[in-house]
Amino acid sequence: APGCSRRPRRPGTSNTAPHPNYAAPMGTTAKEEMNKFWAKNAKLNRPMSPHLTIYKWSVPMMMSITHRGTGVGLSGAISAFALAALVLPGNYPYYLDLIHSLYIGPYLIGLAKFGIAFPVSYHTYNGIRHLWWDIGKGFKIPEVYRTGYTVIALSVITSIAVAFL
Amino acid sequence: MAAIVRLSSVCRRGVKPLFYQSTFLARPLAVPHTYKEHPYQLTAKIHASQALCGSGSKAASLHWTAERVLSILLLAMGPVAYFNPGPFMDYSLAAALTLHGHWGIGQVLTDYVHGDAKIKMANAGLFLLSTVTFAGLCYFNYNDVGICKAVAMLWSK
Repeated sequence: APGCSRRPRRPGTSNTAPHPNYAAPMGTTAKEEMNKFWAKNAKLNRPMSPHLTIYKWSVPMMMSITHRGTGVGLSGAISAFALAALVLPGNYPYYLDLIHSLYIGPYLIGLAKFGIAFPVSYHTYNGIRHLWWDIGKGFKIPEVYRTGYTVIALSVITSIAVAFL
Repeated sequence: MAAIVRLSSVCRRGVKPLFYQSTFLARPLAVPHTYKEHPYQLTAKIHASQALCGSGSKAASLHWTAERVLSILLLAMGPVAYFNPGPFMDYSLAAALTLHGHWGIGQVLTDYVHGDAKIKMANAGLFLLSTVTFAGLCYFNYNDVGICKAVAMLWSK
C-alpha cells in the first residue's frame, strides 16, 4: 500500500508518539514515482543525457560492471549447458571425448581452463566483497580500493593455479 | 521568505524531518496550509520510511535478505561439493545455482527494463529460462554423470 494509510491525519502532523513532525509523506510510492518519470520522458521522446561516455571511469566502477558481466555470463553459460543437456542426443562423456579428439594442445586447454576459472573466481571473490559491504563494512574509499585490488589479485592467482590442475 | 536554521542545529537532531529552507538546496518544499500558524516552518515532502510508518510490505526487504543467505549458502557449497561429491550435492547445486542466477538476472532486469508491460514480459521470459535451466540440470543429474562429476571430468582433460 502506498505511504501510510492506517489513519487519516492532517498533513504535516505525525502518526506516532508526541514529537513534532514537519515532514509530509507523499501519496505515491518511490516505485510509482520512478515509473512516472520513465513514462513521461519516454513519451516525450527525450534523449538520455550522456553518462557512461563522459564520466571518468574508475576501478570500483569497472569492478562493479565486471561483477555484473561475469554473473550474467556465468548464468548464461549454465543455462546454455542445461539446454544442451535437454536437447542434444549424446551424453556428457561423448561430447568431452569429441572435444578431446580435436587435439587442441596443452596451451589452449590451459587457456580455456583459465577462461572458465577466471569469471568464477572473480565473481566469487567480489561476491564476498559485496557481502562484506552488506554487513556495513569497508565503505571508506581507501578500503574500497584495497579490497578491490585484493579481489583482482586473488582472482588472477586462483585462476592460474586452477588452470594448472 | 527564508527561514534559515543553522545546519548544526539540524544535524544535532540526527536525520529527522527537515524544516529549513536554503537557497543552496534544490529540495522541493511544500508549504502546507498550516504555514500561517507556523510562519517559520516549511515542510519537506518525503517518502515515509518503514520506521515512521510501518504499514508497508516487507517483501522487498525479505527478498534482499534471502538473496544474501543464498549467496552464503552457495559459497559453502563449493568446498563441500569438492570434498563430498555425489547426487545430494548435484541437486543442491542445481537448485542453488539456478535460484542465485534467477535472482541475479532479476536485479539486472529491474535496473535496465522500464515500463510496466516490458517489465512483466522480461520477468516472464526470465522465469521460463530459469525453469528450463533447472529442468535441464536435474535431467543432467539424473540421466548423465551429474554436476560434480562433470566438473571433475572437464578438469581432468
